[in-house]
Amino acid sequence: MNPAEECPRTEALSAWVDNELGEAVRAELAAHVAGCAICAPVLAEFRQLHGAFAALPELAPDVDIAPLVDRRIAAAAAQPQTPPRPPPQRMRWWQAVPLALGGVLSLSLGAYLGSMLMLGSQATAQPAMRQMAAFTAIPPGALALCPTRQTCNPLER
Amino acid sequence: MLAPEGTDEDWIRRAQTGDRTAFPELVRRHQTAIYRFLLRMLGSHEDALELSQDTFIKAWQALPQWQPEAQFRTWLFRIASNTALDALRRRKLVEFVPLEESFDAPDSGPDPERQAQATQEVRQLAASLQKLAPEHRQVLLLREVEEMSYEEIGHVLALSEGTVKSRLARARAALIEIHARRRP
Ligand SMILES: [Zn+2]
Repeated sequence: MNPAEECPRTEALSAWVDNELGEAVRAELAAHVAGCAICAPVLAEFRQLHGAFAALPELAPDVDIAPLVDRRIAAAAAQPQTPPRPPPQRMRWWQAVPLALGGVLSLSLGAYLGSMLMLGSQATAQPAMRQMAAFTAIPPGALALCPTRQTCNPLER
Repeated sequence: MLAPEGTDEDWIRRAQTGDRTAFPELVRRHQTAIYRFLLRMLGSHEDALELSQDTFIKAWQALPQWQPEAQFRTWLFRIASNTALDALRRRKLVEFVPLEESFDAPDSGPDPERQAQATQEVRQLAASLQKLAPEHRQVLLLREVEEMSYEEIGHVLALSEGTVKSRLARARAALIEIHARRRP
């Protein structure tokens, strides 16, 4: 006997769950599983797992990634091909702005804003940070995205 | 004028010839799938968002080399899967809070008890997934969540269909074993 055909026929059972078997092979395997106490529970577990995956909540980014990518591409394109010059010693006016605003913003954030501006980006740090904050929570009622309760709880069947 | 529902190939050609609006359209088409895959691979929203951007930037950089024989989706997933494995290697084995740990069923639901059970099961699967070897997690996500054929998975992971078949079987067996150990 081919070792691949020893029971449980894990590979064949897995391919059956994936609908990747030809009709003749599938029929032969179905006939085998019907009378095999080793393969039958493995097939049941694979199908159960398949159902559990279907019940995983849909996860989607709650920000549009396209403009973030576009901004990074634009910034990279704006960079000079020559090696970057050392940073200027004197503080630029835009780095001083956060300090002038009452010292609420740290110097490092000012430098960050400055670097964003130097890259020629339209972005400010603030919206980006808001987007990140919005990202830490899974949307409420994500479970409700499952079409039916039955698919949400496939392991109970 | 090309309609927004043109094929990926149409949009790639536009991007390749310098149309600045074309690549964002491609990102928009695939960002949810890429983000979802990276989130399940990495277990962290912040990492998934960051690596999604990295994936698209790498795709942009490689776009001049893209050949029409390659399906854009599997090509993109190949970049994403390599990006994820690199990040996991850098991170080593830092344990993350499973995604669904903070995920609660709404208590005003029609059958709270059943919903709680479903939530528990989903949590356990998500947690078990995070314990799986990245190579196994990857192949299972491509099959079970992205619903790719063995042929497509083969393109993404640069594996023969036979290897995809045996890896999926081993991944399932491993996940069931982890899952069984967690069950009360
Ligand atoms: Zn058997």
